[in-house]
Amino acid sequence: MGKPLPQYMIDIKKLSGMIGIQISGTEVRIGALTSVEDIRNNQILKRHFASLTQAAEQFAGVQIRHRATIGGNICNASPAGDLLPGLYAADAELTILSKGGYRRQSIREFIIGPGKTTLKPGELLYNIHLPITGRNSKFYKLGLRQSMAISVVNLAISWESSSAGAFHFSLTSGSVAPTVVYLKHFADAVNSSPRDLDTFLPLIDKDISPITDIRATSDYRRKVLKNIVRHELKTILEAPVV
Amino acid sequence: MTTELFDLEVSLNGETIQKQIPTHLMLVDFLRDVLDLTGTKEVCGEGECGACTVLLNGLTVDSCLIFAVETHGSQIATIEGIADDETISRLQQAFIDHHSVQCGYCIPGMILSGEHILKENPHPSRSEVISAFAGNICRCTGYHKILDAVEFAHQEDHS
Repeated sequence: MGKPLPQYMIDIKKLSGMIGIQISGTEVRIGALTSVEDIRNNQILKRHFASLTQAAEQFAGVQIRHRATIGGNICNASPAGDLLPGLYAADAELTILSKGGYRRQSIREFIIGPGKTTLKPGELLYNIHLPITGRNSKFYKLGLRQSMAISVVNLAISWESSSAGAFHFSLTSGSVAPTVVYLKHFADAVNSSPRDLDTFLPLIDKDISPITDIRATSDYRRKVLKNIVRHELKTILEAPVV
Repeated sequence: MTTELFDLEVSLNGETIQKQIPTHLMLVDFLRDVLDLTGTKEVCGEGECGACTVLLNGLTVDSCLIFAVETHGSQIATIEGIADDETISRLQQAFIDHHSVQCGYCIPGMILSGEHILKENPHPSRSEVISAFAGNICRCTGYHKILDAVEFAHQEDHS
């Protein structure tokens, strides 16, 4: 079923130098062949990039997580890829290896459309770099069931707050456009006046262009994303500052 | 497409197996059609249902999504390796005691997922057990009796 097999396939899963999660200076480095289950269970990510941990927890089922890799989730470039909003929210950068050496590119420039990346023949996604910033993050997934489901809408929020009550949010959402998008218009407005977030919700429409497919209609996605954003931001705004 | 052959060597249920196989053969077909180990079931063939679950180097995987050649040099455990001729596992006995089996087609995969969670986490909570079975679909039981069996197996382990 599906596409015919290509003439040759190269199995790269056992390249141990491309597996693992470590802190390197001011960033966390993740090998492209690190499994989603290892992402889910990793304590460094849990501490610094909770949205990635939460996305991995809701990712497919155990058997798939044991085989699926973060590099595969990125290069597959699905608009609904569950690790992607958290990686965008963390300003992830990628190193791409080829015979000629390395190049480095941000994930938002690497993914250019559904299933499309800037990866050229002879290139391999090698490492994912996440700058450690001390920002909080969380992930929300809406699927048609809890497991083994493709997201109808997903959302990562990254934020910092000051004791004076100021917030700085960054919001990234998947399954609402050809690639993961930043809800920039909304975030700019809400950062200037967090308590008025309800009035800014229509600005979300400026950054998304959802389609109707078997999982949901375009209108439903527009509506439900606003509901999720409102609920998640209120939860953050109403939590006691620690 | 010409059929390329590969000399595969794996440790299967503790026994070294060497076979020449086509490179495009899926692991589930290698187990069922080449080795005649038909305890592993294929249902959806696309990684949705978990009926074909086996352990690859101790981790649960869907054998319908893996080429047999990818397992070269690895350890594989199937449902046939869980019991020996004399005894069945504690979890298998718990499935019998709790009437967890109806049509039975999903059960080999359920047992392997259950053995895996109990090895990783000998005393899982109910919600951890549910999440461990997220990739195993059963269309008969409604799951409760399967979850009861896993819970009983680890509580028994407690005493």
